[in-house]
Amino acid sequence: MNEDDLALRNLTYARFVDLGRAPTAAEVAVAGGRDRAEVTAGWERLHAEHALVLDLATGGIRMANPFSGVPTAHRVYAAGRWWYGNCAWDAFGICAALHADGRIETYCPDCGLSMQITVRDQRPDDARLLFHCLIPAARWWDDIVFT
Amino acid sequence: MNLFRSGEHIERWLAGCQPGATIPAEKLSELAHAWWEDRLSPDWRPQTRDGNQAILDRLGLTGDFWRLPGS
Repeated sequence: MNEDDLALRNLTYARFVDLGRAPTAAEVAVAGGRDRAEVTAGWERLHAEHALVLDLATGGIRMANPFSGVPTAHRVYAAGRWWYGNCAWDAFGICAALHADGRIETYCPDCGLSMQITVRDQRPDDARLLFHCLIPAARWWDDIVFT
Repeated sequence: MNLFRSGEHIERWLAGCQPGATIPAEKLSELAHAWWEDRLSPDWRPQTRDGNQAILDRLGLTGDFWRLPGS
């Protein structure tokens, strides 16, 4: 990753956190004093390097891991606002990235019951819950949205 | 990558399919903090495969399931 793409990546993440949602290419272009086309071309390179994940239909940001650009079943309240994680791992990751305590709201995929987990000082308050990862690490990026 | 209420719930959800790996929520939180804590740092640099594998290894997430590609 070259320095220009690194700067674009950092700017994109910073705008995500400022806005509380995925920024558009136009918003990042304005913030960075770049052309919109430069931003979209840079995002495509970052996507290829797994530094973020684009929605291939729209060209917008699908994931700026651990943040999700679209609503998911993994909501997190941290640093004064609500976020969406891409999965349970990323839900905890949002607290980690923001260096904040938080509250995760999700549901058990088996029974559908909602679950609320408070994360304080990096520890969840319910030690009974289990995390299941279906896909082996070697194949996580084969289809990262499914993973 | 989901949280479940218990091992029984995981087993029922799998419905006979091949299971992946299961870890306690506390371990997941440790993993998430080690993996993502630098993500918003202005000094962030792309993770290396070996660096990521070292995180998994340090947390005891070893074996074929947790082996990243490229090894």
